[in-house]
Amino acid sequence: MALFTPSFSFKISASSSPRRCRFVNSPRSFTPRAAVAVETPSFSSADRDGAPKLLLEVKDLSAVIVESKQPILKGVNLTVNEGEVHAVMGKNGSGKSTFAKVLVGHPDYEITGGSITYKGQDLLEMEPEERALAGLFMSFQSPVEIPGVSNIDFLNMAYNARRRKLGLPELGPIEFYGYVAPKLEIVNMKIDFLNRNVNEGFSGGERKRNEILQLAVLGAELAILDEIDSGLDVDALRDVAKAVNGLLTPNNSVLMITHYLRLLEFIKPTYIHIMENGRIVKTGDISIAEILEREGYKAISGT
Amino acid sequence: MSFSTLNSYLPKLCTPPRSRNRPPRTARTKVFAQPPILAILSDPHVLRLAETLEDSIASTSSASPPPPLQKLRDISSQSLLSTPWPSRKDEPFRFTDTSFIKNSDVQPVNPLSTQSLSSLGVLGDALLPNLAIIDGYLLDSLSELSELPDGVFVGAVSRLNSEDIMERVSKYVSSFQGDLFWSLNGVGAPDVIVVYVPEGCKVESPLHLRFFSLNGSDKDSKTLPISNPRVLVLVEKGGEIGIVEEYTGGDGNDACYWTNSVMEIVLGDGAKVSHSYIQKQSFGAAHVKWTSVRQESTSIYELTEVSTGGKLSRHNVHVQQVGSDTVTELSTFHLAIGDQLQDLHSKLVLDHPRGVSRQLHKCIVAHSLGQAVFDGNVQVNRDAQQTDAGQLTRSLLLEPRATVNVKPNLQIIADDVKCSHGAAISDLEENQLFYFRARGIDAEAARKALIFSFAAEVVERFPNSAVRKSVASLIRRLLDPSLPSREEE
Repeated sequence: MALFTPSFSFKISASSSPRRCRFVNSPRSFTPRAAVAVETPSFSSADRDGAPKLLLEVKDLSAVIVESKQPILKGVNLTVNEGEVHAVMGKNGSGKSTFAKVLVGHPDYEITGGSITYKGQDLLEMEPEERALAGLFMSFQSPVEIPGVSNIDFLNMAYNARRRKLGLPELGPIEFYGYVAPKLEIVNMKIDFLNRNVNEGFSGGERKRNEILQLAVLGAELAILDEIDSGLDVDALRDVAKAVNGLLTPNNSVLMITHYLRLLEFIKPTYIHIMENGRIVKTGDISIAEILEREGYKAISGT
Repeated sequence: MSFSTLNSYLPKLCTPPRSRNRPPRTARTKVFAQPPILAILSDPHVLRLAETLEDSIASTSSASPPPPLQKLRDISSQSLLSTPWPSRKDEPFRFTDTSFIKNSDVQPVNPLSTQSLSSLGVLGDALLPNLAIIDGYLLDSLSELSELPDGVFVGAVSRLNSEDIMERVSKYVSSFQGDLFWSLNGVGAPDVIVVYVPEGCKVESPLHLRFFSLNGSDKDSKTLPISNPRVLVLVEKGGEIGIVEEYTGGDGNDACYWTNSVMEIVLGDGAKVSHSYIQKQSFGAAHVKWTSVRQESTSIYELTEVSTGGKLSRHNVHVQQVGSDTVTELSTFHLAIGDQLQDLHSKLVLDHPRGVSRQLHKCIVAHSLGQAVFDGNVQVNRDAQQTDAGQLTRSLLLEPRATVNVKPNLQIIADDVKCSHGAAISDLEENQLFYFRARGIDAEAARKALIFSFAAEVVERFPNSAVRKSVASLIRRLLDPSLPSREEE
């Protein structure tokens, strides 16, 4: 993934001030264009000495469900570098979604061992809000409805939280509208969508697209996509995948949780991990996908 | 026979009162049909209060009251003879403690003191057309009645010239029997404000009835100024009107007073009334209100209510269906942010087929001494076949020891109906809060947004956008006093 599609061009987006977040603004087309970030120019992907830069390091992570104390994660090890796309696959009940939820700090789970380091910081010490503001984004498998709060208000609140953290002035509703309206094209949604309440009455495809819209608006360095393909038809999946691909840069990474190989055809992974029984049992490249397709999980498990 | 005469006989229970030595006074109530022995069952406290109100009326109005007003006073005083003050043992007041009113020295407000305030000028923004009612008295100088369609009458019944309308008003005034507070209003109301919409007439702009309470007493004094505003809305066949009823008072100093208000709404065949009711009284006040609605066939009545003020606030809603195919929609929101009691007692009586009704009641109690009460009664009687009635109540308790008492009750006798009811009492939903946090919004801000959105479901139902905006910002300010007022939407 260090090799990236070469059509770079410098485009200073007038609508957004320089931000630390690495996801690109690509309002018109899906060919990636870099916005000038303050800290690092977009060409050199920060590999000064050739080695890929570490983004996330999970060591021996184990976790239980708070209510029942039932162990779900039993020693997960994973390393994600900048600019990489990782896929985590596995059977139902293997702990994939739990792993994602633990990464963002869901209160239903309690960590019983191991560590998570994110950009050199101890993630387990951080509250969910802090993790999000540090650049961690999770697209939920079943996004919850929030009647009474409109999409644009919600996005505005989240965006301003980031601006506050960076010491930048917050955007009022009208300015924010100017910033967010072009982003709707990325996810192929109409403007009136912004006035609807968050996920209220949304179909599965609309909810997933809403998640990606939030990703595009807020930006992230590590985007965790929890079963982004579940409940989507082929066209919706294509739209979502296109949007995700359009947001990739050499400085950010994606961790996809999925059951199906179909998604991997659209978003090409650097590494595929197979999770079984609360542990990652195999890591490989795209060739694993072919084995899975031919022989199923049995061929992989235990090896 | 007057209350004072009756009162003087109370210690001696058996002597029937005689009126031989007293000249009949036209402003007083007439002789009762019931045997005076019923005086034994009267509540002396009630009678004293009734007498105080009567005296006040007699001293302030010199002219003979028009027939509907006289009829109202007669009926009301008669019922007061046998209506005791409600106690906690009476079902309608099981959760509602009225001792705050009962133990105070209730004083009627003198209208002379309010006339001098006619130079007060603008009392906040108002829609056009509007009426200003100060302490129960209609003040023309502060009201603005712009172009109203022909045949529409808005004003005090004592100024009503048309005999036809007078006759219609007479027929309907107090056709319903309410409780003690209903009858007290009947005795104490200085006038009845009539809103008359003739057949087939659609009034475009909503009528804004602004009720102000300027006379209040301090928290420590035991006196309680009382005002009894009364409104009758009579919409003939096919007529349409929107009413915005707003109660304000106190000026932020927690003044104590008692507003005892009654509104009767009569809808003819196919008539439509959209009723927006906003209560933002002082936090030291008692506010007791009756809304009695009578719906002829195919009529539509929509009530949207937001009630945030008052130390004791009780709204009684009675909707009586007298024809088939009616539509009734009740959306109410109560907020208790301090030591307050917010009470809604609603009763919907369906006696005719194919009525459709929806009721949504939401309340937030955000203080450990706050209390909310809801009693939602729906009676689907034998002839109300194919009724479609739904009721949902949701309460949010945000502080420990905050209390809510809900009693949804459906009494269904007809056998071909679709009725539903649901009640939920909870704190905010965990997974909604987490969704906010996972996007970088801190827990405090998330709580505030979710609490406001809980109220927004009802606020969004106000038909008029100016009302919606002003109520939304009122609720925002009450829930988050630290917030600077946002002017833009």
